[in-house]
Amino acid sequence: MSKFVDRPRYTCALGGAIGTLINLPRVIPVLHAAAGCGGNIANALNGAAGYLGSGYCSGQALPSSNVYENEIVFGGEGRLTEQIANTLKVVDGDLYVVVTGCMVEMIGDDAKSVARKFAGNRAPVLAADTGGFKGNSFKGYDIVLELLFRELVIKNQSKDPKTVNLWGIVPIQDVFWKGNLEVLKTLLEKLGYRVNTFFGEGETLDNLKNAASAVFNIVVSDTAGVEPARVFEEEHGTPFITVPFPIGTYGTEQFLNAVGKALGIEEAFINRLIQEEKKHFYSYLERLADVYNDLDLQRYAVVVGDSNYAQALTRFLADDLGWLPELVVVTDLLTENEQERVTARFGNYLSPIRPKLVFDSDTSSVKKHLFNHWPINRNQRYYDGFNPAFVVGSAFERDLADSLGAPHLSVTYPISNRVVLDRAYAGYTGALRLAEDLFSTLVGSR
Amino acid sequence: MDFIKEKAPPVREDRLKACNAFGGSCCQLAEGARKGCLNGIKRTFAQTQGCQLNLSMAILNTLRNAVIIIHAPIGCGGGSTAMAGLTKNFQKLRDAKAPGLIWLNTNLDESDVIKGGESKLREAVLYADREFRPSAIIVANSCVPALIGDDLDGILAQLQAEVAAKIVPVHCEGFKTKIQASAYDAVYHGILRNLVDVREEYERVIPDELEELAENYRRSKTVNILNVSSMSRFDEDELTRLLRALELNARFMPCYAHPDDFETVTEAALNVSICATHDDYFVGHLQAQYGIPFVLRAIPIGIMNTNKWLRDIGKFFTIEDRVERLIEAETRELEKALAPYREALRGKRAFLAGGEIRVLANATALVELGLEVVGLKGYHYDGFGDDFLNDLDLSDEVLFNVATGQPFEQSNLLERLKPDIYVGHTGGNVWAAKQGFPVYPIFGQTVNYMGYNGVFELARRLTRLLKNPVFNRNLAANTRLPYFEDWYKQDPFSYIDDSPAQSNG
Repeated sequence: MSKFVDRPRYTCALGGAIGTLINLPRVIPVLHAAAGCGGNIANALNGAAGYLGSGYCSGQALPSSNVYENEIVFGGEGRLTEQIANTLKVVDGDLYVVVTGCMVEMIGDDAKSVARKFAGNRAPVLAADTGGFKGNSFKGYDIVLELLFRELVIKNQSKDPKTVNLWGIVPIQDVFWKGNLEVLKTLLEKLGYRVNTFFGEGETLDNLKNAASAVFNIVVSDTAGVEPARVFEEEHGTPFITVPFPIGTYGTEQFLNAVGKALGIEEAFINRLIQEEKKHFYSYLERLADVYNDLDLQRYAVVVGDSNYAQALTRFLADDLGWLPELVVVTDLLTENEQERVTARFGNYLSPIRPKLVFDSDTSSVKKHLFNHWPINRNQRYYDGFNPAFVVGSAFERDLADSLGAPHLSVTYPISNRVVLDRAYAGYTGALRLAEDLFSTLVGSR
Repeated sequence: MDFIKEKAPPVREDRLKACNAFGGSCCQLAEGARKGCLNGIKRTFAQTQGCQLNLSMAILNTLRNAVIIIHAPIGCGGGSTAMAGLTKNFQKLRDAKAPGLIWLNTNLDESDVIKGGESKLREAVLYADREFRPSAIIVANSCVPALIGDDLDGILAQLQAEVAAKIVPVHCEGFKTKIQASAYDAVYHGILRNLVDVREEYERVIPDELEELAENYRRSKTVNILNVSSMSRFDEDELTRLLRALELNARFMPCYAHPDDFETVTEAALNVSICATHDDYFVGHLQAQYGIPFVLRAIPIGIMNTNKWLRDIGKFFTIEDRVERLIEAETRELEKALAPYREALRGKRAFLAGGEIRVLANATALVELGLEVVGLKGYHYDGFGDDFLNDLDLSDEVLFNVATGQPFEQSNLLERLKPDIYVGHTGGNVWAAKQGFPVYPIFGQTVNYMGYNGVFELARRLTRLLKNPVFNRNLAANTRLPYFEDWYKQDPFSYIDDSPAQSNG
């Protein structure tokens, strides 16, 4: 079914699992894998996610069994046992999670049963099979969440009607995840809810352990984290909704209405929040009224990225900024079902824009889709070209932007040409940041 | 040396008895290496490192007009995502029209693990040829297809008849070796078997003796300098400048070369390595196969080493006098330039970490500038380091840690040694920084490190870094490393287990 990928924008299940675990507070991944797996993944995580860096215990510090030919022939469980025991002595964490690479799974090492030998230790040791051939980073995120929801989250907790969990924003694959989680948390707090985001600011492992006390789970994605939400429901009886990742006033309004409806919040209360937020948003966006109109800053746009960002960016560009996102390329590896769910998010625009949507994981395809979509220059006297244009995608899209002579902003993974700290693009405040960054690019030469 | 008929080269544990786990004095290291009893030492606690495939990409990604196919599950080669933008810029320094870094991953999934990934590989090769029309398609093999037994060479031999690009299989499966540097052999092996070619020489229809003499003269004055991906264009400019002063013409490969450049690799008088760890396999084979001599032992980092590098070249061309005059003129001018920096650097205590040869050469350079070397960490160790260790002549108290990565050992060592400056490798620098030490990166692709200008840059940058070290000091005060306090009280080499090596020996 699947095929090769031209410049993939994700690593493997193991990479996604590591990216997920290192962004949980004081959680230590223990790799049971060939030596290069961690090194390769660390390069992809650190250098391609806005210079995330090696963090508390990532990069070269990742504990790893580093199996070689000998273990591949004779089995690696002995080496893993030794590695876990010594990791517990050297590395200071509150939870240790063994994650496996392809080779040890292919030879049939049972990481879970090795991990179980460490039950009763000062900190729990869990294990997940995350062999790279199982899928890409998003799969790794799902596997880890499923493991944690099954084995770490405490069962039979009494529900607190004012607490919700929120996930679906994948650390690293969303380079702005931490800022984005903070924005959405703050929004829901304004509705009177406590929000566990697990990966956001100020979260502790206890928030995760006590996650079953939440009354509802909000998955901010149509693809990532959906399976774990089913597992959560099965294990802890907590219902969930999936909502699209929101950027800008229209996207966030949809988000708030969907959440409000699911939680049974009075419509008027939601509307009041929406009005307040919009007022704040326009108190700043208003400043662009001059320059946008003096310089005619409406742009055609190409949007390239994962399914979360693609729909959110398109809606923001079309419905908030009045731009013309002509082509949208979703680069995830999705099933047909997932593609249908994602496609559904590209309708119902306020603006008359109907972007051309394609699912294609190959980086060099973006240009081909644009040429198929937009009439090419046949050397006619008058040509309605694809300009003025803007490319919103990853660092990979710089080549496309250069060839179009268009400016470019890296918003989706990989981002190697920007430094990202606590910046957020989600919600109303995030949309202001995005407007700043887009228009700063346009006036950058002045 | 002749492994060229094999599909894959031997790994370095076997060929060079290289080791990557050791802690002790430099004497013990040299002694152990001589007896061959370092091979097989392992760690009972380990941190991740790179593999052959990662390091192979460091060279392969630079090649202009080539497409890399990683035959693997989707994560392998993921490190390239961080390198794509930069690589294109560096390629453009050599060719303004260079297309940049293009790679495909064959995305092997669960069903391929059972059924084999050959059809996906086939599809990827055909796509690469059709879509990008590259000069070479380089196929890097990974662990998974090696274990399921994909017949990489067989499929690629068949495909060669169907595509215009030259196909280069590279056997760099990660699990086969602990010594990442085996990657260099894997890459050169692929290049030697598939890109190096002696072009057939046609007899001239109209004989032209003058032109033939000119051509022979050109070849007799041409040297191939084997560059490394961790060096900069400025390094190449500096080495070119020095060789030009000797009326020699320098060509650089393999990094940032065009795949076709390897066709003319034999049209040179001498192969000049700048790092034995990097090149011994390549130059050894070029000598055995094509009779091209080489110089290998020196790396032009630091004054003495640059002198040595030039003298080796001078000896080959029997222009020793000219080389001595060049060295005399260069070092005289350099000494004058260094004088203002010597005061600030005198007696500063340095710890160095990185590739074996690079660490030892930089240690020599630091000693030349008046610094004191208090400890070293090499990513691996083999016999190529011995001469450098001899030259350095360090006291018995100076510890040498052989470790690919393994920052936990380094953090423990640094806590004890408290150097004034840490000279280190990408990926390891952050940990020294979080302990508060000023960091001088041991390599960089945008700065000059080599030749006499490189020594001046070293002095100038070290002095600058020491002028304001507060960024890292603030980090130390506000972050912490992931180890228990107790770890710093343990022997830094507690988790190195030499029992397997002892029982072998």
